[in-house]
Amino acid sequence: MIEFRNVSHGPLRDISFTLQKQERAILFGPSGTGKSTLLFLFNRLKDPEEGEIFYNGKPLTDVPIIELRQKFGLLLQSPNLFPGTVLDNLKYGPSLTNSWRPGREKELLEYVQLSPEMKDRDVDHLSGGQQQRVSLARTLANEPEVLLLDEPTSALDDKTGEDIETVLKELIEQQGLTMVMVTHQMAQARRLGTNGLFMNEGTIEEHGKIPEMLEQPQSRALKEYLQG
Amino acid sequence: MSPEISSQSLWFLIIFVVIPLSVSYFYQLGLSRNVIVASLRGTVQLFAIGYILTYLFDLNAYIGIPLMVTVMLVVASFHARKKGKELPHVLPVIFGGLVLVEVSVLAMWLLFGMVEFIPSEVIPMSGMVIGNSMVAMGLALERMKSEFSENRGRLFAALSLGAEPKQASTLIVRRTLNAALIPNVDRIKTIGLVQLPGMMTGLILGGVEPIMAIKYQLVISLSIFSSVSLSAMFVTLIMYRHFFTENKQLLESEEAMLAYASNQEK
Ligand SMILES: Nc1ncnc2c1ncn2[C@@H]1O[C@H](COP(=O)(O)OP(=O)(O)OP(=O)(O)O)[C@@H](O)[C@H]1O
Ligand SMILES: [Mg+2]
Repeated sequence: MIEFRNVSHGPLRDISFTLQKQERAILFGPSGTGKSTLLFLFNRLKDPEEGEIFYNGKPLTDVPIIELRQKFGLLLQSPNLFPGTVLDNLKYGPSLTNSWRPGREKELLEYVQLSPEMKDRDVDHLSGGQQQRVSLARTLANEPEVLLLDEPTSALDDKTGEDIETVLKELIEQQGLTMVMVTHQMAQARRLGTNGLFMNEGTIEEHGKIPEMLEQPQSRALKEYLQG
Repeated sequence: MSPEISSQSLWFLIIFVVIPLSVSYFYQLGLSRNVIVASLRGTVQLFAIGYILTYLFDLNAYIGIPLMVTVMLVVASFHARKKGKELPHVLPVIFGGLVLVEVSVLAMWLLFGMVEFIPSEVIPMSGMVIGNSMVAMGLALERMKSEFSENRGRLFAALSLGAEPKQASTLIVRRTLNAALIPNVDRIKTIGLVQLPGMMTGLILGGVEPIMAIKYQLVISLSIFSSVSLSAMFVTLIMYRHFFTENKQLLESEEAMLAYASNQEK
């Protein structure tokens, strides 16, 4: 469904891999290796300096860019909420196409384990974990087909994180979504991932099934990463 | 009554220069040379412009006014450009904006008979309008650059949700305009209370009736007020789009430039 062919950009060097529809890929590896940068290439916040990306067999650049970004929902590593209320943030994406349905915030807040009363709260008064959850709900509000999640639960306690994982898994299975998620938590990778992409020094060092690749790592780098 | 300052009495102005000179000498600030050069340079510049103005004021209005206004527009454009050199097309945009502002203000003045089309009225008043607009454009450019660099994450978020660059920049444009206009509003609020405006002071010292001086001041203050707003708006609304590529991405080189600039400041 999505294919990277010899892509280089910034820290990324000669990246090639293919993602199938409804795959849940876990993108992991040491800090600074280019995971976030790689996600930017999917929804064309950045374009490859070299190489090409294909979507359903056609160049990614053939898809009108606004449509692409609505279809590929990217959750950034930090919440980056817009000034205003929680509701303002949730409505932002759908409002751009006049497709916001009043009352939808209830469902969205429930996905991320926040109470419906939160909708009128000023985002400046939220905790880091709450902001991260509003940001995830804001991405889900666009009903993307492909979820690109950059450490979506890194600021949450284990319990809340796992609850959100369950919701995500349900959503993905029910609606036949595809997901690429960056995480540093291997337990989360096992619970949520179908496939793994291990990145090291800007390249994909290993690509395989989960949990197999975590149990029998091939490369030295992955072995070391899993031990450390 | 129109007081005259005699040329001999001007020599006593040297006392005003001797004071900073001796401060510099006693505290070894090493500024003596600078103080002398600055004083001499300032004096020469002022006398020079005095003679040039005298010459211009005697010229036919249809030659003198366009000539001097063009010079002011060009100098102001190059000066304001310094605040946004990295941005593409910034010089023509600033120049265009200043021309627009000057032409509209001049048209207003002449249309409603507030100002006569003679060099001695149009040139100094245009100078004030252009000078203030230049400062406002520079402020707007600087502010816009820092807003773009501070809000990079939010811009990425907005673009990722499917926003057009224009929609993604709404917040930045609003903040930039706000920042560029606040000093302007404050200036109008305190006008006459803290400081008598320069032009009015000049007219009163020159022997003009205070009420007459105030009328002129009102015309110029409100003209500046509106031209500053207009020029800040103009430069902001045109320049924001140059922070994006045609693929609706935040400009890569711009980004690198801004990151570099903010690192330099730290
Ligand atoms: N266009 C570029 N040119 C050069 N370097 C870049 C470019 N874009 C990003 N980088 C650098 O690449 C490095 C990798 O960044 P990235 O955020 O993708 O890593 P990451 O794997 O997500 O790390 P973390 O786990 O800490 O989030 C950073 O040091 C970043 O500054
Ligand atoms: Mg990252």
